[in-house]
Amino acid sequence: MIGRVPAFRAVVLVKPLPSVLGFLFSAWLACSAIAAGAARLTIAKAILTEDDTPKRALVAGLAGEGDEDVPALLAAWRSDQLFIHAAADGAKVPVQLIGPKDAAEAQEALRVDTGEPLRDASGKPLRLVAADLTAVEHDAALRRAMKSVLDVAEIAARDPAKRRQAIQAIGFAQNADKLPALEARLAIEREPKVRLALREALAVIRLKDSSDDAKLAALRELRELEALSSYDLIQAALKNAGAAGQKEIAAACRATLAAIDRHRSSVDFFGTLFRSASLGSILLIVALGLAITFGLMGVINMAHGEMIAVGAYTTYLTQSVFGGGVTIPCFGLSLAIPGMHLGGWVYQAYFLAAIPASFLAAALVGIGLERGIIRFLYRRPLESLLATWGVSLLLQQTFRLTFGANNVQVSSPAYLSGNWTVNDIILGWNRVFVIGFALLIVFGVWLVLTRTPLGLLIRAVMQNRTMAACMGVRTERVNMLTFGLGSGLAGLAGAFLSQIGNVGPSLGQSYIVDAFMTVVVGGVGNLMGTVISAFGIGGLDQVLQQYLPTWAPGLAGFPLIGSFLQNLAQDSSVFGKILVLALIVLFLQWRPAGLFVTRSRSLD
Amino acid sequence: MTTLAPPHLSPTRRRIEFIVVAIFAFLALVVFPLLNSAGVISHFTLNLWGKYLCYALLAISVDLLWGYTGLLSLGQALFFALGGYMHGMYLMRMIGDLGQHRKPIPDFLVFLGWTELPDFWKPFSNFPFALTMAFLLPGLIAYVFGFLAFRSRIKGVYFSILTQALTYGTSLMFFRNNLLMGGNNGFTDFKFLLGYDLLAPATQRGLFMATAATLLAVYVGCRWLSGTKFGLVQRAIRDGENRVLFSGYSTPQYKLFIFVVAAAIAAAGGVLYVPQVGIINPSEMTPDKSLEAVVWCAVGGRGTLVGPILGAISINALKSYATRAFPDLWLLILGGLFIVMVLFLPGGLVSIPARAKAMWLKIRPARPRLELPTTTPTASAAAER
Amino acid sequence: MKLTTLLRTGALALGTTLAAHAAETVKVGVLHSLSGTMAISETSLRDVLLFTFDEINAKGGVLGKKIEPVVVDGASNWPLFAEKAKQLLEQDQVAVTFGCWTSVSRKSVLPVYEKNNGLLFYPVQYEGEEESQNVAYTAEAVNQQATPAVDYLLAQGYKKFYLLGSDYVYPQTTNLVLLEYLLSKGVAIENIGGGFRKDGSGNIISAGKYTPFGHTDYQQIVAEIKQFAAGGGAAVISTLNGDTNVPFFKEYAASGLSAEVCPVVSFSISEDEFRGLPADKLVGQLGCWTYFQSINSPANKKFVADFKAWLAKSSVPGVVKENRVTCSPMVLSYVGVYLWKAAVEKAGSFDVDKVRAAWKSGVSFDGPAGKVATQKNMHLTKNVFIGETKADGQFKILKSFNNVYGEPWLKGKFKAKGAVATNE
Repeated sequence: MIGRVPAFRAVVLVKPLPSVLGFLFSAWLACSAIAAGAARLTIAKAILTEDDTPKRALVAGLAGEGDEDVPALLAAWRSDQLFIHAAADGAKVPVQLIGPKDAAEAQEALRVDTGEPLRDASGKPLRLVAADLTAVEHDAALRRAMKSVLDVAEIAARDPAKRRQAIQAIGFAQNADKLPALEARLAIEREPKVRLALREALAVIRLKDSSDDAKLAALRELRELEALSSYDLIQAALKNAGAAGQKEIAAACRATLAAIDRHRSSVDFFGTLFRSASLGSILLIVALGLAITFGLMGVINMAHGEMIAVGAYTTYLTQSVFGGGVTIPCFGLSLAIPGMHLGGWVYQAYFLAAIPASFLAAALVGIGLERGIIRFLYRRPLESLLATWGVSLLLQQTFRLTFGANNVQVSSPAYLSGNWTVNDIILGWNRVFVIGFALLIVFGVWLVLTRTPLGLLIRAVMQNRTMAACMGVRTERVNMLTFGLGSGLAGLAGAFLSQIGNVGPSLGQSYIVDAFMTVVVGGVGNLMGTVISAFGIGGLDQVLQQYLPTWAPGLAGFPLIGSFLQNLAQDSSVFGKILVLALIVLFLQWRPAGLFVTRSRSLD
Repeated sequence: MTTLAPPHLSPTRRRIEFIVVAIFAFLALVVFPLLNSAGVISHFTLNLWGKYLCYALLAISVDLLWGYTGLLSLGQALFFALGGYMHGMYLMRMIGDLGQHRKPIPDFLVFLGWTELPDFWKPFSNFPFALTMAFLLPGLIAYVFGFLAFRSRIKGVYFSILTQALTYGTSLMFFRNNLLMGGNNGFTDFKFLLGYDLLAPATQRGLFMATAATLLAVYVGCRWLSGTKFGLVQRAIRDGENRVLFSGYSTPQYKLFIFVVAAAIAAAGGVLYVPQVGIINPSEMTPDKSLEAVVWCAVGGRGTLVGPILGAISINALKSYATRAFPDLWLLILGGLFIVMVLFLPGGLVSIPARAKAMWLKIRPARPRLELPTTTPTASAAAER
Repeated sequence: MKLTTLLRTGALALGTTLAAHAAETVKVGVLHSLSGTMAISETSLRDVLLFTFDEINAKGGVLGKKIEPVVVDGASNWPLFAEKAKQLLEQDQVAVTFGCWTSVSRKSVLPVYEKNNGLLFYPVQYEGEEESQNVAYTAEAVNQQATPAVDYLLAQGYKKFYLLGSDYVYPQTTNLVLLEYLLSKGVAIENIGGGFRKDGSGNIISAGKYTPFGHTDYQQIVAEIKQFAAGGGAAVISTLNGDTNVPFFKEYAASGLSAEVCPVVSFSISEDEFRGLPADKLVGQLGCWTYFQSINSPANKKFVADFKAWLAKSSVPGVVKENRVTCSPMVLSYVGVYLWKAAVEKAGSFDVDKVRAAWKSGVSFDGPAGKVATQKNMHLTKNVFIGETKADGQFKILKSFNNVYGEPWLKGKFKAKGAVATNE
């Protein structure tokens, strides 16, 4: 029921003939001149109406008002910027608070009904404090009424994405009255995506048309457009056609549905590819640090997950410092961390600052860990597992006592929220960013290891500690730096994970097993192996998640455990994971030391 | 690579050990139950100790692999839990129609919409069958997994991580409701065991005695095994597998055997654990639980048989106490304890007497110098060097 | 030597038995996870319980006795929950216990309470299908949360529903009940998303999409929802468990879905969980509880202010003082203590049988969310509220249902309208 038809429907938009574009706009302009003020009055009246139904009707009646104030006022209403001011004489005056807040938090107040500043008895403009006033209420139904009003207005919105959304909303409502407006827009629309949306909306609306020819034409159009969103409506049309015995239309419906199904499977396919890459890159950044501490150094660092959490919490703190500051319950001491109260893009840039900060923080913790504990255990790898597990428990509880048991809130900066939608395939910006960055980090680590003096020392020490020491390498220092590098990379992973997952004390636990798997499959001591295994495991997981349910019926034929497998396969998100683990075990049968083996003549 | 106390013991130590074990057996099998029925030891305490002893079985199974064969398995909790699950299935059937739904099938099946028992559940009404399965299934899984792993010579850290993956994957599977094994809730609300009221103090006392007896039997069995030639090869594998291999022993077979035996011991712990604790659910087989068992073993002292028992009991007693006394800090205490143990007491609690002795020898007034070299070098002292 | 160590550690465990029994106090157990994965939710309940005890003690206690809380940590470990319950009942001999969050922890301690005839107050929304005489369910039953929320969505004109949850008893049961309910309201089965699993004879045994605890990758599911919602008029009914909500909602927002396109009504996100969620991404999503912090009543305002004042001066170790909120499970814990007090005072005794009889005969309490009254089936009659989330982490109340009777047995209660469901 999105985009319900208002009871007092717009008169303005229906009048002009669709073919005469100019006329439409001149009519619109003319109307807006007449309507100026009227819309404001209606909104003010709607605000003061107590009862929900007439209130919604009043708002819905605004659809098609050319008044430019309408979208602005409704948007203000939705975002709680409209308030009710009780005047001295007891009359309730709806006002909008605008402009910057002064020292007393007060803002300029505009009357909703006139658009003039609110004045007191002496005619002086009043300044009001938002916190003292009651914001004008709005519920979901009312907001949808507003949305249908805005949709019509937004057909002409400047932002193409908004235009598109508005057009789609109108289309779903399948209201023939909106056809002229859409056609008029189609005539002047340049943006290809919006044009597609317009054509789809028009076709969908015409599906409801009485004439068979129009329906067939609409179905042809939809078939050509491969419009995913119209699937349900076409199905409904198919049902109607079947009921009415219209064979031709039913056949056309089926053909259209089949075309959309084909399109959907290709979207699924490419979507799965993208999701594989994205999951793979997450595994990669999570495992990369481990590939160094475990793969190169041979330290089984069970606290690797907590290093990730250190990075994530650092991101949280950086965000807080850029924003309004935060008070953390640090062991019951209530530590207040002041904020810089930055706004706009400077605040948004917090994430860029958080990346090096989280690297450094985790690297420092890692170095501390290496100096304090791990350096005593290089000859006892299995015991380093136990000690670091103790560290992991310790750190988890420390997070809990420092930041509280609850997850903390890390919001994504604007440039990481949102998505590109290419041919119905969603590419989230955060995901694209993670993929890009993962590759960048791998490249960076590769450079460090192979092209710098430090890298040379690291490789020397890792290959043969004693020999390197004999050659005068300060192995202690190299160990420390290597472990710091590995931990720092884990911290980086934490910064990225904060953008897609939760930040809490047990954050690291969700990734530790996956990280170890990735490194083991890749082959210890080989960066390239880790990269390949990360993308391999990520891809396998996503492919299984996507396609297992479709394979489920086929599994039933399996001897003995067929029904069991079929049953399992339907819970694809879990079973995919289990299957990946099983396949890893089998894979290691074939290559016990992982994808890439460091060959050596030594036996033990 | 590992330096541990030599297992061949002097006659005096053997005698001491025999006495200690006999005292322990007498206490657990006679004194504790008697004191309990006399009301001196509360049912709660007895039950708690029953639970500790089950954990001790799990710890021994870890030690048999890690301390004696050099295989660090992070999947022992899986076998423990599977043993528990198989027994749990029998216990679930014994609830009869006394569940919340008053239906003849387990509650969780009713809520999943089942009206009759799934086929694979049916034989579990039979106690001998359930008990057989409790050992057969973990044993079989251990056999298949061990066969694959040892055949391709997966060892050391790889083995640890793979066993961890095994238990992790299985726990994910058991968490699912559609496996028809109770999902996240697992099995609870048991009522009867072999016709006895499970909640009656006498039944619990019997279970405690059964646990103590099993532990004793496992202890004696392992002690015997470590004295045989098999035990010798086992330790040789731990200390230098390739040399053993080149001496003509088929090490994979030895390892496979011990892996299956350890799985069975863990399963025995699970079988006894479930009726005493009253619940089995998949969180018992998460990698964390296996790690915990490894820690008990390390804290007590690996490579000895008393160590794991001591470790399991002391850590769990500490946990019982600390979760009540300082709920917020006990994880810090536990984590800190592991680190300290690994760094400063690699031989575990059992090495304390030897260390104390060594320390005493160092500080006591130097008398005849000839005696010093004959003192046995201890594991910890060697490790510290 | 070994033996003494053995005994010493044993004595450590035994040491707790020797707690003194003071005549002027009554012992009350608090059994929540203060560490482990569930600490995230349960520590708040411990806090509010301690606050409530202090509040009652300041006014003279219960039957003239001061409440002496015995706080234990279940450590998110279910066998440990059973052990701790035994300890509370058999050693500390508490008069009543307030505790548990997850269904499995309740199931784990239930036999212990039934055996010892103890009394457990359980405060968190749950799946029903249970009615123990030893548990006072102050929690929301499915018909005090899920079905009112669906009523609201239907009234708002939504036609398609995607069922999504964590894989455990509560979501599974709730979704099965909701499936029956939606069908009974005339929603066509093809308009219910998430998938179905059927048994051999074709009966649906499970409805909806399930992910394990701690699941982090929601890409595929969100893509599926996006396709499901492409035609408009769709809503997601989410019973995802606390932790997994963050990756889900971040993915949801990143794929361009919003409350206006396809709202999500979540049954497991209260104000407390909200603190860890990206609030700006969640504006307009729906929640349904029997309490919201934003309830505009003097009783609630006083409750919130008193709790915050208590937090500020609290010296209990581990109590977080910053950015605290109140939420439904907390208020149900609070209300539970007062209902227990009322029942004890009505019975004139702390004896569990007498208290239960008093509970069944009906006691009530005017709490922060209005009046709650006990029922014969150990549940509560209370008010239900639908709210939508705001950027500040609070809910704006959209609708309320008064005095909803708590009904634990819902499966099979709603019958589909005929074999072929029509599309109204």
